[in-house]
Amino acid sequence: MEFTFLFSQFMSGLTYGLMLFLVASGLSLIFGVMNILNFAHATLWLIGAYICFTFWSLMEAHQFALWVSIPLAALATAAFGWICEVVLIKRIYKRELHEQLLITYAMALIFGDLIKIVWGPTDRLIVRPSIIQKPLFLFGAPIDSYFIFVILIGVAVAVGLWWFLKYTKYGHIVKAAVYSREMVSALGIPIPKIYTWVFTLGIFIAGLAGGVQSAIGSVTLGMDMNIIIQAFCVVVIGGFGSLMGTLIGSLIVGEVFSFAILYWPDGAMVLIFVITAAILIVKPWGLFGTPLRA
Amino acid sequence: MDNKNTMFQRFWLPAALFVVALILPFVISEFWVHVFNEILILGLFAAAFNLVFGYMGQLSFGQAAYYGIGAYTTGLLMVKLHWPLFACLPVSMITAGIGALILGYFCVKLRGIYFAILTMAFGQLVFFIIFQWYSFTGGDNGLQGINPPEWLFKAIPYYYFSLTVVTIGMIILYFITESPFGYTLRAIRDNTERTEFIGINVQRYMLINFVISGMFCGLAGALWGPFNRSVAPDLCSWQHSGHPVFMAVMGGPHHFLGPMIGSVIFTFLNAFVTGFTEYWPLVSGMVIIIVVLVMPGGVFGIIKEKGYFCPRDAGDVKNE
Repeated sequence: MEFTFLFSQFMSGLTYGLMLFLVASGLSLIFGVMNILNFAHATLWLIGAYICFTFWSLMEAHQFALWVSIPLAALATAAFGWICEVVLIKRIYKRELHEQLLITYAMALIFGDLIKIVWGPTDRLIVRPSIIQKPLFLFGAPIDSYFIFVILIGVAVAVGLWWFLKYTKYGHIVKAAVYSREMVSALGIPIPKIYTWVFTLGIFIAGLAGGVQSAIGSVTLGMDMNIIIQAFCVVVIGGFGSLMGTLIGSLIVGEVFSFAILYWPDGAMVLIFVITAAILIVKPWGLFGTPLRA
Repeated sequence: MDNKNTMFQRFWLPAALFVVALILPFVISEFWVHVFNEILILGLFAAAFNLVFGYMGQLSFGQAAYYGIGAYTTGLLMVKLHWPLFACLPVSMITAGIGALILGYFCVKLRGIYFAILTMAFGQLVFFIIFQWYSFTGGDNGLQGINPPEWLFKAIPYYYFSLTVVTIGMIILYFITESPFGYTLRAIRDNTERTEFIGINVQRYMLINFVISGMFCGLAGALWGPFNRSVAPDLCSWQHSGHPVFMAVMGGPHHFLGPMIGSVIFTFLNAFVTGFTEYWPLVSGMVIIIVVLVMPGGVFGIIKEKGYFCPRDAGDVKNE
């Protein structure tokens, strides 16, 4: 009993952690390459969730509705992110830190209200296809069968990003841009173009995560505000721009949150901030981060 | 140096604003008196924030934490212990200062974006403590019934009370920014390394400044509770920490009065827009984007650029 209980708690922590990873990896990628901290990242994630709901409700009658809606939501969110980049973010590459922060902060405010205007204040709930309605028993512990899917997606994105950064030409450019933008640009690679696509990729992952999230529970306004703060904690713990760090950071935050909520529900969030602050004090660049240019 | 002419240049604007603020309640309706009260309180908040931002050159995205600590100190003392408001104000400054001292100790080790993130994380820490600690702070219900004394109960008397406190606060802040300490802060902002090399303990100066800023944020928060008759944990949230950032940027962070001017514009807009739409975040977001893209130096930046008149520039050491 005790073991199965802890195991199912561990699995829900893992799911939550990987969901955080999906949000935080895009955030970290964008920050690492473009040096822009995207406050609106989780709001775009929530837009992805709502878009997924809309696609799903169009195809409601079919069993495959959810599985088609998730990639569609990711693409639609990425398109939206691309527009944001071209229209807005492009103008603030060379601006000062506070101006960049204010712009993305403003984007978060605007998109939050846009969601309210488009989808209204009522909670949205996706009815899961029958295949993932029943729990799955693993080592005798009941696990939400959709969690398996979430975990698979999280792992797939982690592996995919790792492969992209390690083995593809564009991945190498992105990695190089984290260390020295000037050098990359001196090699004749158009930095603005790279920026646009990195941003779009980050938002694509956020949209995918939103789509996945939409079937975990109901989609509600204001969900983004909790997750953005936790995603910040994740990238701070793991180190900006480090994929490995983001993954480890997400799992730490997910598991800590999942177990803390059992034993000390009121203090779960506080505990995460305490851990974050402690790590930032000991290692200002995070567990796996390297000192970035100022 | 300070002949009559520059004295006039330096003080005509604040003096004029003060006179306008004195006369206003006779001309406008009670609703707008409320709005102006809010302007004063948030203006003090933004000016205190600007000590860290405009003068020290570090962006704090968690200053609402100290504002909230001040507001809750006054709220708790008045609701639970029935302290008089006057006694609460200094105590709020002290508690906010202690909060800023403990959290700032860690923040001042970092610079730039890391400073911004850590201040924000600590701000959220304070927010969640207040949010979750039902038995003490009332959690998300907040604290109700923070009533100012009888003679301050109406809008206009409380407005004059705020005006007095805020004016005193602003004068103290002005003296701090014009003191050798204030100029050391500018030196830290303009060239941290060099300041360190001439033998100044940069971290200690930054910490002291962070605490002073926190104390005045706390004072502004302390005024807010009795003004609004209640406090809620939202006062500490990171969205609320964004307000002084925007006000300072809008007014011009390199002028002492910039944040106050920013507060006038922002709060006015808020009162005006919320009159006919619930989508205030949408409107404010658009205004923020326009301001950042079109007038990066804020109102005072534009005025200086056009050379209409020259209020003394509090920001730039180089220009003096």
